[in-house]
Amino acid sequence: MTATDIAVQCSDRTVRAALEAWLAGLRLAAPLGVILNVRITDEDLDAVPEIVFEQPDVRFGLGPGGRGIRLAWDHAPAFADLPAGATVASVLLSPEAVERLERCTRTFLMAVVIMLLRRTGWYHLHAATAVDPEGRGWLVTGDAKVGKSTTAALLAASGWQVGTDDAAFLERQGDRILVHTSHAPIALRDEGRRLLAKAGGVVLPDRGKVGYWPEDLGGVWTPLVSPDIVIFPTVGKARTTAEPIARSVALAELVRWSAWVMLEPDLAQDHLDVLTRLTGQARCFRVTLGRDLFARPNRLIELVT
Amino acid sequence: MSERYLRHPDLRLADVEGDGVVLHLGTRRYFSVSESGLALLQALEAPRTLPELVAVLLERYEVTPEQAEASVRQFLDTCRTADLLVPESDG
Repeated sequence: MTATDIAVQCSDRTVRAALEAWLAGLRLAAPLGVILNVRITDEDLDAVPEIVFEQPDVRFGLGPGGRGIRLAWDHAPAFADLPAGATVASVLLSPEAVERLERCTRTFLMAVVIMLLRRTGWYHLHAATAVDPEGRGWLVTGDAKVGKSTTAALLAASGWQVGTDDAAFLERQGDRILVHTSHAPIALRDEGRRLLAKAGGVVLPDRGKVGYWPEDLGGVWTPLVSPDIVIFPTVGKARTTAEPIARSVALAELVRWSAWVMLEPDLAQDHLDVLTRLTGQARCFRVTLGRDLFARPNRLIELVT
Repeated sequence: MSERYLRHPDLRLADVEGDGVVLHLGTRRYFSVSESGLALLQALEAPRTLPELVAVLLERYEVTPEQAEASVRQFLDTCRTADLLVPESDG
C-alpha cells in the first residue's frame, strides 16, 4: 500500500489510475478494508428514492429496503450504494461524470469516502486542525465562512503544524480522540489572500479560491492531531477574543458541524459518544477572530491558556 | 386507563456533566436538555406513567410532589411538540 489504504476496483484502467492517484494524494492512512468498487456505465441510473440529507452537489437517500445509503451527484449521473454496515461502496459513474472526474472526486466520491470511513469509526467533522509550537492540538470548527481556512493559513505561515482547513476525521484511540486529516491545499478566498498578503498558489477550479499547501506557507503538514483545544470561531471587526463555553454547548456545536451524526441509526450513538468525549478531552471556546491576529497569530494561545 | 410514555426510538442521548444533548434521527433535529430533562428521557427508555416520572424527580431533587408533577407535565408537553415521545396505553 502507498499513502492510502482505500482501495479502488475498476475495470477501466484510466479511471482506476486517476482515482488511485486522487486517493494517494490525500495521504489518508485509512483503516484497511475500505473499497470503492467503480463501474462505468451509460445505462439509465435509478434516482435516489427518498432524499434524507443534502449538501452542495450531493444528495443522500436510503438504500434498497430502507437500509444503507444511496448517494447521488448533482452534476452528472453518478450513484453510490453503501449497504448497511459495509465498507465497500458500489459506485456507478456515467461517461459524463467521468468527463468531470476532478469535480466528481472532490465532491461526490469524497462524500462516499466519508460515509465509508464512518463505518470504520472515523467520524467526519468540518474543522481545521493544527498543532501549536508548544505541542497542543487545536480544532477550529464551523461552516464555510467563519475563518477556518484563513486561520489555518495564518497558523501555517507562523510555523504551526497544520493538518487540514476543512475535513477532519475523529477517531477514538484508547481514552483519546484523535483527528486524522488528508493532505489538501488550504483554500483561500480573495479576502483571505489579501489579509495574508499571499500571492501565488494553485487556482482551484469551480471553487473561486486559491489553494496553498501548508508547506508553501512555511508550515508543516501533520496528518494526526490530538485535540487539547476546540474553538468555534466567527469573524469580527474588533480585537480577537475568546470565551470558554460549557461542554453541553460545545457538544451541540459539534453536532451541528458533524451533521452526518444524524444518518444511519446504527452508527449515531457511537458518533455522538465520540463528539461527547471530545468535549471532555479538550477545552472549548467561542472565539471572535479580529484582524489583530494577523500581526500576532500567537495571541490565540495567550487567550486560551 | 393510565397513559404511559416512551421516548421515541429515533432518539440518541448524550450526557455531558449532567446536561444533555438529544438527537432525533427521524426529524434530524437536535436539542439541548437540562439535567432533569435528561433524567426523564433516560427513564423513558422504558414505558413510564406520570407518577413514575414524578418519582424520578422526587428521588433526585428536593421539590414537592406538586412541583415535580408540574415539571413533568410541562416536560411531556415540550416533548410531544418536538415528537420525542411515543405514547402507550396499558389498558
